[in-house]
Amino acid sequence: MATAPVIDTPPATVTTAPAGPARKGILSHWRLYAAISPFYLLFLAFGLIPVGFSLYLSFHRWDGLGSMEFAGLSQYRYLLSDSQFWGSIGNTVVIWALATFPMIFLAMVTAVLLNSAVRFKNVYRFAYFLPNVTSIVAVAIIFGSVFSTNFGLVNALLQAVGLDQVAWLNSPWGIKVAIATLMTWQWTGYNAIIFLAGLQTIPSELYEAARMDGAGPVQTFFRVTLPLMRPVLLFVLVISTVTGLQSFSEPQVLLQTTDNNSSFAGGPGHAGQTMVLYFFQQTFDNNDFGYGAAVAWGIFLVVVLFSIINWRLVQRRGEE
Amino acid sequence: MRLSRRSLLRAGLAGTAATALGGLASGCAVPTGSTGRNMVLWYWSGGLSPKVLQKAKARYDSAVNLQAIQIGGYYRSKLMTTMTGRAHVPDIAGLKGEDMASYLPNSDQFVDLRTLGADRLKDRYLTWKWDEAIAEDGSMVGFPIDCGPVAHYYQPAVFEKAGLPYEPDDVSRELDTWEKFLAAGEQLKKRVPGAFILTDALSIYGISVNQTTKRFVDKDRHFIGDQEHVRTAWDRAVEATRRGLVSKIVNGTPDNISATERGLLPSQLNASWAAGDIKLNTPKTKGKWRVANCPGGPSNIGGSFLSITKACREPEKAFEMITWMLDADNQAQGFVDSVLFPSTPASYRMAKLREPDEFFGGQITMDVFGPAAQKIPVAFNSPYDIALKTPIDDELRNFSVLGKDPDQAWKDAMSKCRRIADHLGVSY
Repeated sequence: MATAPVIDTPPATVTTAPAGPARKGILSHWRLYAAISPFYLLFLAFGLIPVGFSLYLSFHRWDGLGSMEFAGLSQYRYLLSDSQFWGSIGNTVVIWALATFPMIFLAMVTAVLLNSAVRFKNVYRFAYFLPNVTSIVAVAIIFGSVFSTNFGLVNALLQAVGLDQVAWLNSPWGIKVAIATLMTWQWTGYNAIIFLAGLQTIPSELYEAARMDGAGPVQTFFRVTLPLMRPVLLFVLVISTVTGLQSFSEPQVLLQTTDNNSSFAGGPGHAGQTMVLYFFQQTFDNNDFGYGAAVAWGIFLVVVLFSIINWRLVQRRGEE
Repeated sequence: MRLSRRSLLRAGLAGTAATALGGLASGCAVPTGSTGRNMVLWYWSGGLSPKVLQKAKARYDSAVNLQAIQIGGYYRSKLMTTMTGRAHVPDIAGLKGEDMASYLPNSDQFVDLRTLGADRLKDRYLTWKWDEAIAEDGSMVGFPIDCGPVAHYYQPAVFEKAGLPYEPDDVSRELDTWEKFLAAGEQLKKRVPGAFILTDALSIYGISVNQTTKRFVDKDRHFIGDQEHVRTAWDRAVEATRRGLVSKIVNGTPDNISATERGLLPSQLNASWAAGDIKLNTPKTKGKWRVANCPGGPSNIGGSFLSITKACREPEKAFEMITWMLDADNQAQGFVDSVLFPSTPASYRMAKLREPDEFFGGQITMDVFGPAAQKIPVAFNSPYDIALKTPIDDELRNFSVLGKDPDQAWKDAMSKCRRIADHLGVSY
């Protein structure tokens, strides 16, 4: 409700009627509230109420159609001792790390190259951005072929350099690497564009000064470019954490064919089952909506934890 | 043109008011079911024959306007959401066979088809299929569409090369038990290097369980997944893997298709509808397949139902329509159009179902599927089956794919089941 005074500050222009005393209260500003209400109404209908309902649901047992049965804290008690849920947190974090760090490195390299490219600049930018707007389902199906054991591209390359085949989609680490590669492929271009924008804000005088002081290209990169890119780097890290913690389509489509019974199981040993995938399995495979809601709140807490870590990182940056 | 702030505000206000009012108005007027002449039917891609739907629309056009809507994505959750929301509920809803157990406890959401006179049609349909749609309170939730009798698809040329029987009748007769089937697998492996009789361990396990009359949770909400029928199936899958008869190929990958085309996976145990998948995925193998009886006896995978929801305004008309759409003639049409295997035995004798199939070397596949469909054992499917079969599937995969010790895997599966049973209120 803090919005009202902000809008009210230039009162004369908002309304020609004599501005009444601020005391008159909220009602006198009903037009303004009405004007901003669509967002709040939509948020209420599609955000707040479902969130509140899921909290309510997590204290119940419900099969989605019949009557609900109060279950107290038992869903949460079960969640805490659920090794598959903890495993899914581990999977999510490992896949996120396997995807994010190579992705940031590659994006940075790409951005520096793009920044110094002379010809076809826009063509390159478009080409690098393309993976990000490609349908994830189509991509996952292609990657399923790329990582298949006998006729996959990856194993063909491995064999070409004299290495053994790896059963990518049949081994716990292979699955994680395959998913992470997919995510890296999809996000590198997008983040390279963001890095490129960051690079272009660095004033050229700084580079000139560095050159005058006799710094080589490597030194310039590490002493000038990288420190000035820190805020952008942090932004990319935060965004990739958000997307990484929600990863769902990538493992779901990539691994659904390996499993006859559930498209949410995440492959052998649940090696590719992320948190959101586990939530789907419990809710929609098992029709266990109460427990599904509890899992969702568990995921929420994990996201909060990561947000705090991110926030601390940003805070410390601000204090420096 | 310059917009003044005031006019902008006014426009915004008017827009908001209109949205809010419109929302309220439509909010009050959301129909639970369809209105007037509309008869809305929900199904999924391949769930019903498009031709039969077209004919039904024309046939009943004078009375109702049949709107058959094909729902994409995760069908069950969309139907459940709509029913729980009590708005725009379809009059007629398709129910998938594997979801049946989760609808049956909520039979109050559907019209009991017995009240519309379903019983007089009972003898025209497969008994076990009919019984699958009966809820615990005796009400009938769904009307049988199709079923999925399991058969043994095989490539005769490869079997001949391995010195195995290769004529359908001989395969049916000589590979009639699992022991003989596994022995054949061993011979195949020896004579045809790189060939496997089983693609994965889970299919032989799953089919073995389906060949029995029990599943994972019984009528009294008691866990029975630790009993002999499951253990035997588990042991069979473990034995097949240990004897090296199971490939490492992942289903649905190019590896699978290539190996199938090259005759390295010359055998598939699968439902009648899988013939469509084989034709679609490996068109080059046309003429190289035959169908025989599944070792160990008949079983079923999949098959669905049509239901009339409580929101339906004209249940009598709806019942008339679904019984017409699912009579023996139209079910035969469904098989021709969409490989929906009829649940009406009378269809099996019809000429259009007895046409030689060139993909199967001119074999009349109905000779195998028809008798199998009529001998499928009846089992009770519990709404808790899915939750309690998953740990066993998972652990079997841990053994067959990741190489976990099978005894440990079974123990872990059972302890997971115990935990889940406890959580769901299923006695152990």
